Amino acid sequence: MDTMEKGKTIILADNLSFAYDHKYSALEHLSFQIERGETIGIIGANGAGKSTLLKILVGLLEDYQGRLEIDGLTVEKKTLKEIRKKVGYVFQDSESQLFLSTVYEDVAFGPRNYGYPEETVEEKVLSALRLVHMEEHRDKQIYRLSGGQKKMVAIATVLSMEPEVILFDEPSTALDPRNRRNLVGVLNDMSCTKIIASHDMDFIKSTCDRVFLLADKTIRKIGTAGEIVMNSRLLEESGL
Amino acid sequence: MHMSDVLLSPAVAGVMYAGSVAATGYSIYKVKKIDQPESVPVMGVMGAFVFAAQMINFTIPGTGSSGHLCGGIMLSAILGPEAGFLTMIGVLLIQCLLFADGGLLALGANIWNMAFYGCFVGGYLIWKAIMKHGMSKKKITAASVLGCILTLQLGAFSVTLETLASDITELPFAAFVGVMQPIHLAIGLVEGLITAAVLVFIYEMRPELLWDGRRLRGSECVQKGRMSAKKMLIVFLVAAGLLGGVCSLFASELPDGLEWSMERIAGTAEPGELAGTAEPGGLAGTAEPGEITDTTESEQTGAVYEVSNSIQEASAILPDYSLKGNDTPVGTSLSGMLGGAVVIAFCTVLCYVLKLFRKKTGNESLE
Amino acid sequence: MNQLNEAVKALHEIDLESGKRRKNTDIHPLSILLVTICYIGVTASFGNYDMPKLFSMIIFLIAGGILYDISLKNSFRRLKYILLFPLFLGAANLVLDRQILWYLGKIPITSGMVSMVTLFIKGVFMVYATYFMIIRIGIEGLCLAMRAIHVPGILITQITLSYRYIIVLLREMERMWTSYHMRAPGQKGIQIKAWGSFLGLLFLRSMERADNIYHSMLLRGYQENVGIPAAKGKYSFGKSAAYVLFWVMIFACLRKVPLFYLLGEKMAGR
Repeated sequence: MDTMEKGKTIILADNLSFAYDHKYSALEHLSFQIERGETIGIIGANGAGKSTLLKILVGLLEDYQGRLEIDGLTVEKKTLKEIRKKVGYVFQDSESQLFLSTVYEDVAFGPRNYGYPEETVEEKVLSALRLVHMEEHRDKQIYRLSGGQKKMVAIATVLSMEPEVILFDEPSTALDPRNRRNLVGVLNDMSCTKIIASHDMDFIKSTCDRVFLLADKTIRKIGTAGEIVMNSRLLEESGL
Repeated sequence: MHMSDVLLSPAVAGVMYAGSVAATGYSIYKVKKIDQPESVPVMGVMGAFVFAAQMINFTIPGTGSSGHLCGGIMLSAILGPEAGFLTMIGVLLIQCLLFADGGLLALGANIWNMAFYGCFVGGYLIWKAIMKHGMSKKKITAASVLGCILTLQLGAFSVTLETLASDITELPFAAFVGVMQPIHLAIGLVEGLITAAVLVFIYEMRPELLWDGRRLRGSECVQKGRMSAKKMLIVFLVAAGLLGGVCSLFASELPDGLEWSMERIAGTAEPGELAGTAEPGGLAGTAEPGEITDTTESEQTGAVYEVSNSIQEASAILPDYSLKGNDTPVGTSLSGMLGGAVVIAFCTVLCYVLKLFRKKTGNESLE
Repeated sequence: MNQLNEAVKALHEIDLESGKRRKNTDIHPLSILLVTICYIGVTASFGNYDMPKLFSMIIFLIAGGILYDISLKNSFRRLKYILLFPLFLGAANLVLDRQILWYLGKIPITSGMVSMVTLFIKGVFMVYATYFMIIRIGIEGLCLAMRAIHVPGILITQITLSYRYIIVLLREMERMWTSYHMRAPGQKGIQIKAWGSFLGLLFLRSMERADNIYHSMLLRGYQENVGIPAAKGKYSFGKSAAYVLFWVMIFACLRKVPLFYLLGEKMAGR
C-alpha cells in the first residue's frame, strides 16, 4: 500500500484515525485505496462516521492521524486549495449548499471564484446544468425549486468546478421515487470518481461498484455492492 | 421604531447618513482586523434570523398586546458589537425595501437610531460591562432588559430630535418627548424580556456561542485594541454632542417654509423670487432642539404667538398682490389644478407613445 | 400567520418582478438607484406648505408606472406601514396649526390641513418611488449597484446571504408557528414559557446552517477578501448616464419652477 500508482489510485488512506477535539474518537485505523473512476458506497448506521470520513477527505476536519493522499497530495493545510479543486462535496442539506439567490448565480459561484472569464463561466454553468437536466431552470430563484430540483442544482454547483472526485452525503434522503431514479441516472452518467455515503441500500446497489461497510468506528468490510448489500446478517450485525 | 422618509429633511438625513457611514467604516475595519472568515456566513444567517424573529409576536402576560425581539442587543450578544452592527444594516435595508419600514432617505437615521445604539451602546456599555466577570442567567437578563430600555430610549429621543430638526411638525419638543419616551420605556421592557429569554436559552444550550466581551465566537484569541466601556462612553458622548450640534445648526439655518409657502399657495410671489424669499424666523423657536430643552410654557406660547404673527403679516400682504394679479386664493389653486391636470395628461400620453414605440423596436430587434 | 405570509409574498413579488425587468433593460441598477435617491431627496426638500410644487413630482411616478408596467394597486398595502406615524404628526399639525388660509366655499382651509396633506403626499410619493426601484432592480440589482460604488464586499455578502436565508427561516418559522398553535389553540402569540425556546431552537439550527454554508463556500473556492463574485451585466453606459441626467434635470426643474401653477395661469389667460 505504500506506493501510489500515478494515474490509477486517486485516494489512499493508511491507518487513518480521527477524534473530535482530540478526545472523542470517531474513526480508528482505516486503510483503503480508491481507483480513478470508481464509485464507492460508504454504508453504516447513524453515527458510524460516514460524514466524518467525507469531511476528512475534503479537509473540513483537520488533525487526523495516519496517512491520507488524494491524487498524490497529502491532505494538509497547505494543499487544501489544490485538493478542493479536485474534490467536490454535495451536502446532505441542499438548502445550506445553495446560498445565492438564483440557480445560475449559485452554480457560477465556484467557477467565478477561480477567476475564469465570464464566457467560460457561462459555458461551465450551462454544461453542469445540462448534466443534471436543469438547464431550463437557470434563472429560477432557489427557494422556488422542489427538494429534488435543489439536490440536482447542488450537484451542478459541484460539477461546474469539474472535480475529479465527488463526495455525496446522503444524496437520496427526502427524494421521492421519481427524483431518486433521476438521481441514479445522473450519477451513473458521471465519469468521475464518486464516493456516496448513504444507508439507502437500494440506492447504493444501483450506483456503486464497491462498498465500504463502516461499523464500530472502522471499516468492517470492503466488498462489491452485491456482496455486502445482500448479506443481511452482516448488515444487521452492523446496525443496519 | 422605524423613522420614515417623510419625517426627515434631506439635510438632517444627510447628517444621519454621515454618522452611520462612519460607524460602518469603523466596524468593517474592526471585523476585517479580527479576520474570522467563518463569521461572514454567520452574520448573513443571523441577519435573516433577526429579520424573521422580529415578525413573531410574543404575548405579554396579563395584557392583550405583544412584543418582538430586539435585534441590536441580540446581535451584539452573539457576534459582538461591530459584526452585529453590520448585520443590523442588512436587516434594516431589507426591511426598508421589502415592507417600506422606514425608507431609503431615512435609512441612515434608522441605522443610527437602532443599530448604532443597539450594538455599540448596548453591546459595549451594557453587555460587555455586565459580563466582565463571567456570565450567568441573571446577568444576561439584566443586560438584555437594561440594554433594550436604554437603547430604545436613545433611539426614541433621536427620532424626536431628527423630526424636530427637520422642521416637519408643529408639535412642541416637550409634548413630543412626553409621548415618545414613556411608550418606548414599555416597549423596551418587553423587548428586553423577550431578548433575555432567547439569550438565556442559548446560554443553557450552547454558552460558547455568546459573546463574553473578549473573544469572538469559537476562537480563543483575546482581541487586543478593542474599546473599553469608558472609551466607548467618551466616543459616544462626543458623537452625540456633535450630532446634536450639527442637527441644530441645520435646523436654525433651515428656511421657515411657512411664510413663503403660504405666499406660494396664495399665488402671490413671482416664480423667480421663490428661492430668495425663504427666511429664517417664525418657527425657528420650535426647530432648535438645543434651545428647546429649557423651553418653558410661556416661551412656547411665545413661539406660537410669533407664528400667528408671521401668518398675519403674510396674509396682510395678500390684498396687494391679489389686486395686482386680480386674483383670489381659490382662483389660484384652481389654476394650479388645471395646469396639473394638463401636465399629467400630457405626460401620460407621452409615456404610452414611448412604450408603444419601444415595444415596436423591441420586436424588430427580435426578428 | 399573516405577517409571515405577507413577508413571503412580498419576497416572491419582488424577485419575480425584478427578475423579469432586469433581463429587459440595459440601464445599470446604479442609475436607477441614483435617480430614486435624487427623487426622494428632492421630494423631501419641499416645505411643509409647498403642496402645489410637491404635487408636480407625480410625473416621475406616472412615467415609471406606465413605462415599466408597475401596478400601483399591488403596492398599495405597503403604504399602511409607513403612514401611521406621519399621520399622527400630521394630525398634531392639524390641531396646533389652525391659521385659516382661505375658504373653500364655507369650509375654512387651515395651514395645518395643508401641511398634513403635504406630509401625506410626500409619504406616498416616497414609498412608491422606493417600490418602483426595488421592483425594477431587486435586491440583487441593489447589490450590483453597491458593488459599482465600491461598497465593501463584506457588507454586500452579508446582505446577499441574509436575503437568501430570510425566506428559508420564514418558512421554518411558519412551520414552527403552525405546530405550536395546533397544540395551543386559541392563543394569539407565543406564551411566556416558550419565549426562549421558540426562537432559541431556531437560532441554534440557524447557527448550524451557517457552519454548513461556510463549508460549502470554502469548498467552492471562496476568498474572503474578494467576497461573493458577481457577473458584470450587459449594461449600456450611455443609456444609463442619459437616464440619470434626464431625470435629475427634470427634478431640478420641478423643484425650481411651479410648473402646474404657471401652466394653469397661462391657460386661464392670466
